Amino acid sequence: MIQLSYLDYSAVEGKSRLHRLSPKFKIIGMVLVLLGVVTMMNLPGLLLLYAILLALFFMSRIPLKIFSLTLYPLIFAFLFIFISGFQIRFILLIFLKALSGSTGVVLLLATTPYPSIFRFLGKFLPSLFVTALFLTYRSIFILLNILEETEHALHLRGGLQWRHPWRSVCNISNAFGHLIIKGIDASEKMYESMVLRGFKNKIHYRGE
Amino acid sequence: MSHIHFPDGVLPVWLWVSGFIVAILVGTILFRFIKKEDLARRLPLLGMMAAAMVLGASVEIIPIAYHVNLTVISGILLGPSLIFLAAFVVNVILALFGHGGITVIGLNTLILSIEGILGYFLFRLFWRVLRRLTPAIFIATFLALFCSTLSMIGVVSLGTSHYEELIHQERNGIIGFEFGKEREGHQKEGMSEREVNLKRFIAVILPLGFIGWILEGVITSLIARYIHRLRPDLLRLERRTP
Repeated sequence: MIQLSYLDYSAVEGKSRLHRLSPKFKIIGMVLVLLGVVTMMNLPGLLLLYAILLALFFMSRIPLKIFSLTLYPLIFAFLFIFISGFQIRFILLIFLKALSGSTGVVLLLATTPYPSIFRFLGKFLPSLFVTALFLTYRSIFILLNILEETEHALHLRGGLQWRHPWRSVCNISNAFGHLIIKGIDASEKMYESMVLRGFKNKIHYRGE
Repeated sequence: MSHIHFPDGVLPVWLWVSGFIVAILVGTILFRFIKKEDLARRLPLLGMMAAAMVLGASVEIIPIAYHVNLTVISGILLGPSLIFLAAFVVNVILALFGHGGITVIGLNTLILSIEGILGYFLFRLFWRVLRRLTPAIFIATFLALFCSTLSMIGVVSLGTSHYEELIHQERNGIIGFEFGKEREGHQKEGMSEREVNLKRFIAVILPLGFIGWILEGVITSLIARYIHRLRPDLLRLERRTP
C-alpha cells in the first residue's frame, strides 16, 4: 500500500504517450483487456496479451517499485491450483490471467489520476458510490500518515519483537485501534469542512 | 481468505454476472433502511473505515496467504447497511490495485458483507448473552469469518464445471467459445476427478482459514477493547440496568 503514493505521483507527473491519452480510451482499453482475460482460454493468446501489457508498462516509464503490485495476485492464484490437481497448463492459464488482469489495472491507475477514473465511473454508477469511493481513496492517504507515525512510535519503543509475539500482537491491534479512532476523528473534521463548502452527497469535479 | 482473490476469467460468466445482480438487489434493499441525512453524515466515516479495511488487506501474512479484513469491527461501527457499501468500495479499490479481479467485485462484495453484517448481529447477540466484550467480539468474528469462508467455498464449487473446461481445454484457437464432442468425453472422464480436486482445495483452505479466523478474532477483540477504553460511544453498547 506504500506504493500508493508512487502510483499517484506516476499518474499525475508521468509524461509518456499513455499518460497523455484520454482517460476514456484507457478505460475502454482496460475493458478490452478484461474481455480478453475472461474469454481467452489458450496460453499463447494470454502470453501475447501479457507481453503487450508489459511492453506498455515499461514504455510508459512507470516506477519499477510499482511493478511488484502486479505480482501480488500470484499469492492467491497459488491457492487455486489445488483445484486443478497440479496440471501445469491450468496453473499457467490461471497465473497468466491473474498477471494480465493485475498489470492492466495497475497500468490504468499508474497512468490516469484517480479523479479522472472516478469521474468516468460516475457516468455509470450512482453518485453516492462514487462519493464513497473518492472519500475512501482520500482517507487512505490520511490513514497512511497516521500509520507511519504509529509504526515509528512502535519501533522506537520496541513494540514489535519476534521474541514477544503476544505483546507484538497486542501492540499491532492497539495500533489499528489508534488508527481507527484517529481516522474517525479525522472523518468528523472532514465532514464538517465539506459541509462548510456546500457538500450535498455529491462531489463535483472541475469543469462540471 | 474469506473472500475470493481469484483473477478475472476463472469463474464462469453466469456466476459473476449473477454476483453483480444479487449485489445490486441487496444494496438497493439495504439502502431503503438508511435515512438520507444520516447517510450524508456518515459517508466520511464510511470512507475512513473502508480505508482502514484496504490498509488491513494490504498487510499480507504470506505463509498462510492471509490478511486482516477488519470487516467485523467495521460492521460493528458502521451498522449492517453501511458495511455493504463499504465492502463494495473496498473491493473496487482492491481490484484497482490488482488484488482480486474486477469481474468478481459483485461476488466479493456479497461475501465480505456477509462477514460484516453477520459480525454485527452476532456481536449484539453475544454481548447480550455474555456481557463481556472480548469473548463476544472474538466469537462473533470467528463465526462470521467461518460463515463467509463457507460461502466463498460454495461460490467456488458452483464453478466446478467451468474449471473442468479450463483444465481440459486443448488448442481451440485464440479464443475458445465452443467445444466439440471430445469435450463431452473429457468432461465425463473428469467427473471422478472433480469432487476429489474440490476436496483438496477445501482441505487446504479450511486449515489456513482456521489460523486466520483465530488471528483475526484476537486482533478484532484487542482493537475493540482499545476502542472501548478510549471511545466507548462508538461501539453503541447498551448499558446494564442496575
